[in-house]
Amino acid sequence: MRMEKLIAGDVKFQRKYGFYFLYAILTIIYITAILAIPQSWRGKIVTLLIFSDPPAMGMFFMGAIVLLEKSQRVLCTLAVSPITPQEYIASKMISVSLISLLVAVSIALAAGKDHLFILGMGTVLTSMIFTLLGMIVAVKIESLNQFILWTVPFEIIGFGPAVLYLFGVDFPVFQYYPANICINMVAGRLPGGLKIVILCIFIAILFGLAQKSVLRMWNRLGGAKL
Amino acid sequence: MITVNNLNYSYTDKPFIRDMSFRVSRGEIFGFLGPSGAGKSTLQKILTGMLPDYQGQVQVHGVECKKHKKDFYENIGVDFEFSTMYEKLTARENLNFFSSLYKKKSKSIEGLLEKMGLAQDADKRVSEYSKGMKARLNFIKALLHDPALLCLDEPTSGLDPTNNRLMKDMILEEKAKGKTILLTTHNMQDATELCDRVAFIVGGQIMALDSPHNLIMSRGARTVTYRWQENGEQTAVCALDEISTDQRLQMLIHDNRLLSIHSSEPTLNDIFMDITGRALV
Repeated sequence: MRMEKLIAGDVKFQRKYGFYFLYAILTIIYITAILAIPQSWRGKIVTLLIFSDPPAMGMFFMGAIVLLEKSQRVLCTLAVSPITPQEYIASKMISVSLISLLVAVSIALAAGKDHLFILGMGTVLTSMIFTLLGMIVAVKIESLNQFILWTVPFEIIGFGPAVLYLFGVDFPVFQYYPANICINMVAGRLPGGLKIVILCIFIAILFGLAQKSVLRMWNRLGGAKL
Repeated sequence: MITVNNLNYSYTDKPFIRDMSFRVSRGEIFGFLGPSGAGKSTLQKILTGMLPDYQGQVQVHGVECKKHKKDFYENIGVDFEFSTMYEKLTARENLNFFSSLYKKKSKSIEGLLEKMGLAQDADKRVSEYSKGMKARLNFIKALLHDPALLCLDEPTSGLDPTNNRLMKDMILEEKAKGKTILLTTHNMQDATELCDRVAFIVGGQIMALDSPHNLIMSRGARTVTYRWQENGEQTAVCALDEISTDQRLQMLIHDNRLLSIHSSEPTLNDIFMDITGRALV
């Protein structure tokens, strides 16, 4: 019950702060651009677009959300409320994934992509990974510039092998790389059981790290600065 | 309600909170007074379970703060000195959201907004609120889930005299309902008026702990100042407990020549400076 309220609150926050409006505009631009490119190019470009924008934007959304909550000191209230760090993170993860899913499905439908369920799952899992990475980085920083700088290595590690893989530059070991598993799903290919397990373990580890970071951030709020 | 025994806490190698012990009973307003950096906020964070790595015993509602579960906060309301609201949401939206995070049924948001004089502005964004309006809204947020313990940090800061009075009346109303209130303030007048007991905190230590009345009476000699006309206006001061031996005063009273006479006592601020050697800045 509390979780539902928390998610509803996060969605309202994201709507009021213009996240939905921004992505409505971007989706229209993306769809227009996709419809303008030749049919033969669309498959890989749409996969790359969906993988690299709606879900991966979770990282930047988290930066913006946590910085806003820090600057407006809302985190002080949340830290002394019955909300647990797990609930706080899960709510952000779910609400941001929802935007990613809406945008990804809209683009995929416009581009005539098949396997929408697998694509949707891939989008949500990618979004969760990047949201958690964004959360881990965001709790440590104080400004948006700092955040953008800190996310560069995560972007290279996250996107690099996946993009290479999509365009045929492949190393056998990279087929088990979480980002590559995700981009495969966004492309509409169902991964094997082992790959799903790897993805789940990876997300669980990131969730644990994010939980520790959030708890540390809550403990640092207010009080003496030494 | 609150028991603190031999509390020690440090952010670094140097001790910050040193050997604090005190108890706060149910229905008591307990004030923490001290200059900035004295350890008041740290103490409040320990009491609200946000800093678990302390030494000693700190119990709130019978729960050791370092071992609390999250439902610990169902019975604690914290009013921060600064606004802690989503600025782009309206006051009503903020209150609806924060109250939804508790299991307990929320108090009437409309009623509290009305009481604090914010009903007309309930649908305004918080970013459009003045400092005083934000302070009142923050206070409402702390009350929404009807907590047994209220931690108030400078609740009257930024309020005009009318709203200052309104806020103090609301605090006393909560006390009358049996709520325990921890009040952190620089404002000695508020502390004198509201607190049953106050602790003077300097350098992470409690330097004095008693009721404001006892602190004032124990340290300060009350005096009587009187004025009369004699080659211009004259003024003299004598200790209240020596008033019967002041011959000049006796004579002025006898001759009905006094222009004015009033007694005065030291303020809590004077006592604070006297005990700690520090001003409350």
